[in-house]
Amino acid sequence: MSKSLIELNGISKTFKISKRSKGIPSMALNLFHPKYEYKKAVKDISFRINEGEMVGFIGPNGAGKSTTIKMLSGILYPDSGHININGFVPYKQRKEYVSNIGVVFGQKSQLSWDLPVIDSFELIKHIYRISDKKYEENLEKFTELLNMSDFINQPVRQLSLGQRMRADIVAALLHSPKIVFFDEPTIGLDVVGKEKIRDFIRYLNETQGITMIFTTHDMQDIEKTCNRLIIIDKGDKLYDGNLIDIREKYGTSRQLDIQFESNINISPIEHVKVEQLDGLKKRFIFENTKVHIHELMSDLLTKYKVKDLSITEPDIETIIRQIYEGSIDIV
Amino acid sequence: MKPYIEFARKTFINKMVYKFDYVVGIFNTCLQIFIFWCIYKALYGTSSKIDGISFSMVTTNFILCLGLSSTFQINDLFVQEKVNDGSIANEFLRPVNFKGRILAENIGSIIFGLIFNFIPALFVAIIFVGIQSPVSSLALLLFSASAILGFFILWQISFIVQMTSFWVINVWSISTIKNVFVNVLSGSMLPLWFMPRAVMGFIKFTPFASIYFIPIRIYLGDMQGNDILINFLRQMLWIAILYIIGEVMWRRGQKKLIVQGG
Repeated sequence: MSKSLIELNGISKTFKISKRSKGIPSMALNLFHPKYEYKKAVKDISFRINEGEMVGFIGPNGAGKSTTIKMLSGILYPDSGHININGFVPYKQRKEYVSNIGVVFGQKSQLSWDLPVIDSFELIKHIYRISDKKYEENLEKFTELLNMSDFINQPVRQLSLGQRMRADIVAALLHSPKIVFFDEPTIGLDVVGKEKIRDFIRYLNETQGITMIFTTHDMQDIEKTCNRLIIIDKGDKLYDGNLIDIREKYGTSRQLDIQFESNINISPIEHVKVEQLDGLKKRFIFENTKVHIHELMSDLLTKYKVKDLSITEPDIETIIRQIYEGSIDIV
Repeated sequence: MKPYIEFARKTFINKMVYKFDYVVGIFNTCLQIFIFWCIYKALYGTSSKIDGISFSMVTTNFILCLGLSSTFQINDLFVQEKVNDGSIANEFLRPVNFKGRILAENIGSIIFGLIFNFIPALFVAIIFVGIQSPVSSLALLLFSASAILGFFILWQISFIVQMTSFWVINVWSISTIKNVFVNVLSGSMLPLWFMPRAVMGFIKFTPFASIYFIPIRIYLGDMQGNDILINFLRQMLWIAILYIIGEVMWRRGQKKLIVQGG
């Protein structure tokens, strides 16, 4: 087996949460007898990621995404399991390891609030010991790609969220990391801002071959950037595979809307659910694995006079929602 | 080394921005010196020596002590703030030693304090109060070396306080208790010559006397030859002990770390 760049084996992390009780007497008791709850944030997760891969890492709020990212980036210690990234154990060799990675936390800026963006970049240059040549090269390239030249000399506190996010992304990339973790880089951005960042991320992966893990709640982010998808929920890994596969496997339901010329009665068809919509419209819902679509359509078209028809397949967002809700069972 | 110098430089420059702050800082130190001077003037009255300690030794003691302690300002809440707002995550992502980085920033602010607080206040004190000159130039040199060791002891104590951030939410109360201990037991409030024998017996077993009192006694020539050597060793021993405690807490703390939110 070829060696993967990122390897996780049976990673678990439990948080201890102190349990507060209601009312003064029990609160006083709590002082002497603190009660704790243990919350398993991540349960026995394993996966491998090869060099140059771009992986979407998704799950509902509280699923353990950020905790996993923080363990991958060496900030948190896992309770059990092994992590090996590019030959390093992140949490043990943190100082040596972090030069290999870049991390963008959408919700936490690493830039100095009061200083102009460029000053923060200068400090990063010294911290990572980036050579003058590489620094100039990277800075010029990224400022151009992300249109940052008009705000690079402004203090961070005066930037819009979109501008700040772009500056934060550049800050994480100045030292040319091999691996980049994006933790919700598009959170709170408008459509144009999101699109800019997606384009940039795709560009990085395609031209620089940077390996990336990308967490988000916006499925369009994933669709437009990633090939592979890992879904976790309540600390468990639910799915790990191709984005196209998920559509083929779980996006099998089809919806056929037909407008007939006259009011007709349709005799029940096997495996097809028929719904009456307003007017002369009817909706046929079926699984494309059980019903041949051309048979159904030719049957309907020959028997009845059809004015208009449309067919829809579920978008990825719907499929993911069904997975979160448990109405699609992933084995 | 370069990144750490950069951290120290950045702190120094940041401090320069707040000009009003350092003018008030100098004024504050001078005011404290003046108040202490008034108190001891009244205490000494007409007597030239109390317990064998002359008035000028006492004034020299508190001028140097106040000067050093207003220079050695360390923010005990630095780590706590980072842990509480989660920005500790960003700190951990940098390829620098976190402890070294804190030290570098503190040294940056101490160099600033030395130039813009200690030296001006010392001038004011020399002109208006008068201060004994060091017994010899060697004593001045040894005083400086010992004061630097004293700073490292104070810094290690502060680091230990800061490390409690990984276990408790509010470090402020621990920091306050520490400050009371430092102020009383290091001799910056009452010179340790005047401490009751029993208290002195206790202080001997704590690191506090090694912060300001040892360098000042060297400066005044209150300590000689082998005594100086022994006290230097005592300071270094405390640095080693406190370093080990701090290091153990730092290693355990990292494993305890919980990054809130996001």
